[in-house]
Order: sequence, then structure tokens, then C-alpha cells
Amino acid sequence: MDHFPTNWGRPRNDAYDAYGTFPLPHRPNNDTKDAFASGVQRTQQPIVTGTSVLALKYKDGIMMAADNLASYGSLARFKDVQRLHPVGKYTVIGAGGDISDFQYIQKFLEELIIEEFTSQDGHDLGPAEIHEYLSQVMYARRSKLNPLWNSLLVGGFKDGKSFLAYVDLLGTTYSASTLATGFGAYLAQPILRKEVEGKETELTEDEAIRIMETCIRVLYYRDARSIDKYQLATITADGVKISDSRHISTSWSFAEGIRGYGAQTQ
Amino acid sequence: MTSIGTGYDLSASTYSPDGRIFQVEYATKAVENSGTAIGVKVNDGIVLAVEKLIHSKLLVPEANRRIQTIDRHIGLATAGLLADGRNITTRARDEAVNYREAYNAPTPLKILADRLGLYVQAYTLYSSVRPFGISTILGAVDKDGPSLYVVEPSGVFFGYNGAAVGKGRQLAKTELEKLKLSELTTREAVYEAARIIYLVHEDAKEKEFELELSWIGKETDGVHLPVPKDLHRDAEAKAKAALETFE
Amino acid sequence: MFRNTYDSDNTVFSPQGRLHQVEYALEAVKQGSAAVGLRSKTHAVLLALKRSTGELASYQQKMFRIDDHVGIAIAGLTSDARVLSNFMRQQAMSSKMLFNRPVPVNRLVGSIADKAQVNTQEYGRRPYGVGFLVIGHDQSGPHLYEFSPSGNSYEYFAMSIGARSQSAKTYLEKHYEEFADAPLEDLIRHGLHALRETLQQDKELNVNNTSIGLIGPTSEHETKATLPQGAFRILENEAVEPFLQTMVAKSTDSSAPAPAGASSSGAGGSSDVQMSG
Repeated sequence: MDHFPTNWGRPRNDAYDAYGTFPLPHRPNNDTKDAFASGVQRTQQPIVTGTSVLALKYKDGIMMAADNLASYGSLARFKDVQRLHPVGKYTVIGAGGDISDFQYIQKFLEELIIEEFTSQDGHDLGPAEIHEYLSQVMYARRSKLNPLWNSLLVGGFKDGKSFLAYVDLLGTTYSASTLATGFGAYLAQPILRKEVEGKETELTEDEAIRIMETCIRVLYYRDARSIDKYQLATITADGVKISDSRHISTSWSFAEGIRGYGAQTQ
Repeated sequence: MTSIGTGYDLSASTYSPDGRIFQVEYATKAVENSGTAIGVKVNDGIVLAVEKLIHSKLLVPEANRRIQTIDRHIGLATAGLLADGRNITTRARDEAVNYREAYNAPTPLKILADRLGLYVQAYTLYSSVRPFGISTILGAVDKDGPSLYVVEPSGVFFGYNGAAVGKGRQLAKTELEKLKLSELTTREAVYEAARIIYLVHEDAKEKEFELELSWIGKETDGVHLPVPKDLHRDAEAKAKAALETFE
Repeated sequence: MFRNTYDSDNTVFSPQGRLHQVEYALEAVKQGSAAVGLRSKTHAVLLALKRSTGELASYQQKMFRIDDHVGIAIAGLTSDARVLSNFMRQQAMSSKMLFNRPVPVNRLVGSIADKAQVNTQEYGRRPYGVGFLVIGHDQSGPHLYEFSPSGNSYEYFAMSIGARSQSAKTYLEKHYEEFADAPLEDLIRHGLHALRETLQQDKELNVNNTSIGLIGPTSEHETKATLPQGAFRILENEAVEPFLQTMVAKSTDSSAPAPAGASSSGAGGSSDVQMSG
């Protein structure tokens, strides 16, 4: 593809033989000669996107939260998208970033899990293995300059051990007892750290839910790409549970006093 | 057999003057030397059972499986050359993955049987390969409910309500025909399958064997799984008891 | 030239449904010197008899390390073994790379069995002429597998392959129930006793012709520390000596089976060759 719009719809360069003065076999080669001629353009930005994913370690395992919005630019395009996805019996992945890339990831992980299942030999992939595999895929894709445009949290519980780690479109990995992607990394992570760090083995599920609600509320107030519908996932010794959509309560009465927001006449 | 020494039986790509392909027939001989495998289809599920002959007491029990899982909802049992059974298993898994990739849905068994039939048939066409020395029982619960197929070394496949391959298939088929398959639950079919395998084995007076059982049904959530240990033990005990009353 | 009409290549079934070329490949395994494998709840052990072609030659390698958690002993064509063990190493590396998980031993053995099966079905190839005993340790504990050129693989409590391996098998069948709870030293002693059964009359096991491969916690007789703990290691030469010392002389060993000669090698043939289930 010729990427210079000025060339479009006109003879490609000065050497163009407009009057057919050369016999056919001797015509000059008029292929585009710029550096982009044989180039291809790969993903430059995500299209339909999800925002933050939050996760924390608590007494029984891992809790993860993400809202149900898929935005198209600034448009709140789909409001019932599930961004938390179970992978096998011990793992949940949560995704921010491009939703179609995430759906592709879901598909190849599903294939992987079926392959594991069909061997029926008692060797299951746990969260650590799935995270390793994902990070290899993400790094390989970014090295081909064709990344899967996501930041992913991988949380799981297997053999009495909980696991929580991050991997993103660059193939960067990171592990901590609280993790947040997207805007959550700025807005929710400080709250999560304050509430969770050092208390990973004491926090109850109810307390963990309350912390998550706090974070989701803060995000809904301040992140313009979020909504007040979200889901919670827990991964514990009992396996994976992903809740139905929940609603976060917010209060907007203060907005009445803000100029340009409510039904003000002036 | 009249075929021997005629030279018409040395290649899968050669017909005999009366239009037979002896190599395929010899391949079925390999199947007939093997422990029996059966499949039972009932209204709400499938049961597969295999008579696994034990050639050494040093073998680890339950470790060397002859029933394989192809997809979550598909099981496969073979009779014949064991290694060929693994080959067909690999192919079946690939086909199931391929279907899933294309249609994002679990493979209907009919389609899998069709594709495996084509694969097996290709090995009957050329002198550069030999046919598969196995008969394959495929069982699944798919969108149309339970289904059961058998793929033969020639590549032909048929749907069945009750199927038997291997050494004891004749007696097993007779026993399967006696069952009222439409009235059985999957759980009941497990007992019947175990009984038939024990009966067939007793008839042949073979060396020792291990019973292998798997099922797909409501109780497994449509997933192909080995029959749980307690049910397996119970079915085995009942099968042994039935043997004594049978004679 | 050929023994019968149906044994000239591997794409031909005999009228009985047998594959003669594959059966001959199984005979190639029996040309190799013997190897014995056995396992307990904590350890898996390989023992093998090395051959040398003469005084000036070194002894032929019988054991290969695949990964920290897997090792093999071979009988048959060493060059085929090297091809297959190379493939096994690749599989092990790939599992580490993709999942950071040691490859499950059963899948590793399955992968070479699948390779071997293809060579029994397609023209222009020959079946591999080598058998393996594979020991490994994974999530489900220690394992012992036999791989054979027919494309079959089985898991065993104990097994032997190679020349006169039937004698070793007889010993193992007699004692295998003791193996599960046996301490490592006893396990190795049983293995050496079984291996001894495969020797010709005038030969005996010594530091030069005996290899021991093992997986599991270190023995009191081992001097070198193994890193990481319990990883597969091969003991040779003087390292074997303390274990040879533990052997009970054959004449006084009341539990030793009848003299080997009668039941040795080839003739016993089809009984330990299982092509079909």
C-alpha cells in the first residue's frame, strides 16, 4: 500500500510514461519506490476496550473484579460484557484493553484446557502455568510487532497456594498481593495496598468484597470509561466462582451545585 | 485361506481377481486378536467398556488406559494394535480442535466419525502405507443427544445402539441385543457393560484382564470421564456374581 | 532370503494380522545388553549392563539424562536411541519454556511412542531398533515406563529389556511386591540381583560394566551431592562400588530364581512382546 495520499489517484512518479513512448516491454518500472511500499500496518491501537481490572489476595484465595463495560472510544458501546473468564478449574483471567483480542485469548486458552483435559492423566494446568504460557504468547506477539492489546491479571488457587500475577501487551510480568490494570493502577492500587498489604492471610471474603466495592466506586466516579455494573470472581479451595453482575451505589446529589452539569438555567 | 501365496495380498493397492483387498482383511485379523471393547448407547448417555488383557503382572494397574478422551464430550475405545489406537486418537483430537476453531462449538460425533472414516480409508489406498489394524468405537453426547459409531479398518463407519469389537464381539453382540437399551439409565448401562465384558472374557478363557469403564451422561454433565471408583467396584462385583448364576 | 512372504516391509500385514518387520525390530532390542528398572514410593532406579568391544575400547553408554526429572536406559541401536532421546529433550525444554513445568513423564513417553508408531505404518522407513526404560518423577510421584519399537508404552512397577532380560523379569516378578516400601539401597540391590541374572555364566557385575541411574533423595552411599535435590543422576565406575558391595552372593541367595540359561533371550519371544491389547 502506498501511504502517501498525494500520490493517490495520479501517476505515481515523474517517470510515468503518459504518452506510451516506450514499447510495452521497455516501459519504466512505475512501482512505488518509498520505504513503505511493501510494508504492512499492524495493530496501532485497541478498538473496543475494557478498562480496569482489580485483584487482591485474601484469606481464602484470590478475589478479582472488573466492570461490564466495553467502550468504543468514549462511547459506552456494550454494557453487558464479562471481562473475567475462568480457565480450567483453578484459574481466572481478567482483561483490560482490546475486547476482541481478549476473546481470541479466551479461545486459545479454551483449546489448551481441552487438550489438557483429554489427556486424563491428572496433570492439570494451574494458574502459574497459565500465566507463564500467556506471558510467552504476549511477548512473542509483541516481538512480532503485532501485540494482543491487553493487560491481563491471572489469579488462581491450586494445591493450597494462591497465585496472582500480571502480564500485558509488552510481555511484561509482575506479581504482588494486590494488582490493578488501567486507570485502576492509579486510582485503586493505593487503596488496595493500604487495605490488603500485610493482611493477606487475615482478610475475610466479606472484607475483601467491601474493599473491592470501595475501589469500584472510586473508579466509577473518576474513570470516564467505567460503569457501575461489575462482577466479582473468587478463586479458592472450592474452585472458581464468578458472581452475577452487581451494581455499585453512588451518590450524585453534589452535582446539582456544579455549573454546567444539572438542569441549571444559567 | 486361498489368498495366501497368490501375490494379490501383499499390498493395500492391489485387488485380487475377485475384487477383494486382502491387506484390509488382514488388518481386521489384527483387530480380532485383541481384547474386546464395547459401547452402549442409552437414552441419556453412553458407556464404553474394554477388556484390557494383562500381559505381565508387573504392569501398574489403571495406568495403561485403552479408552481415550477426544474432546470434553467424546470418548474413544479401540480394539487391535495399541499403537495404531494412539495414532487415531491423536487424529481425532486434531479433528475435534479443528472443528471447534472453525465453528466455536463442540464437534458433533457424526462429523468426527465421518472425518475419521476418511482418514482411515486413505490408508487403504496406497502400497506405501498399511491400513489401520484397529476398529474404533466412538461415543459422545452432543447437541443431538447420545450417539455411538464404529470405524472399521476399511474406513467404513456405522452408527450403533450397541457396538462390540475385538475377540469376543460375537458373544458381546448377542448379549447387547438382549438388552432393552431404551429403558436403561446410563448408570444401569455401566452394570450391563461390565457384566458383558466379564461374560465374554470367561467364554474365551484368556489370561488375566482388567476392566476399563468410562461414561458420558447426565451424571457426568455431558463430559466423558472414567466411571467413578465405587461404581466401578460395584459393577465389577455384580458382574462376577452374574457369571456364577449364568452357568 | 526372507523367512516368509509377509516380512519384507512394514506396510504389509500377514494373513494373521501380524507385522513381521515390527516383530523383528523387537528382536533388535534383545540384541542389546540388558537394562533393568524398578521403582518404590520414593525412588525410581535404572540399572544397565555396559558392553565394550574389546580391551582397548571404552564401554558403550547405556543411560541418558533427559531432564532433571527424567532419565532413560536403552537396549538396541544406540544411534536410534540418540535420535529419540534428543527428541525427548526437546519436548522437555518446550514444556519448560511454555509452561515452566517439568513435562509429565507419561506424555513424554507417549510422544516418542507416537513417533515410533508412524515408522510401523509407512513405507520407506524402518521401525526404531531400540527399547527404552524411562524413569521419571512428576506431580504424581516416581514412574517407570517401557517404550518399545512397536509404538507401545506401558507403565510398570519393575521391568527389564535387552539380552536375556527374561531371566531378570523372572526375578522381578518374584520380588516386585517388596519394592514399593523398599529403601533406596534395597531397591538398587534388587535391581543388581535382577541384572546379574542376565549375565553369561562366566561374567559378573563390576564397576566397569554397571551403570546405575536414579531419581529421588540421595543414598548414604552417594558421595557427590546432587543438585537440585533428587534429580536424575547416573552413577558409574567407583561410584557404583558401594552398591555392588551390598549384593548377596548368588549361591547363598536362597531367593534367587533357577539358573538363567534355560529361559534366556530370543526363544521366549512372543510372550514378552505385546503388540495388541
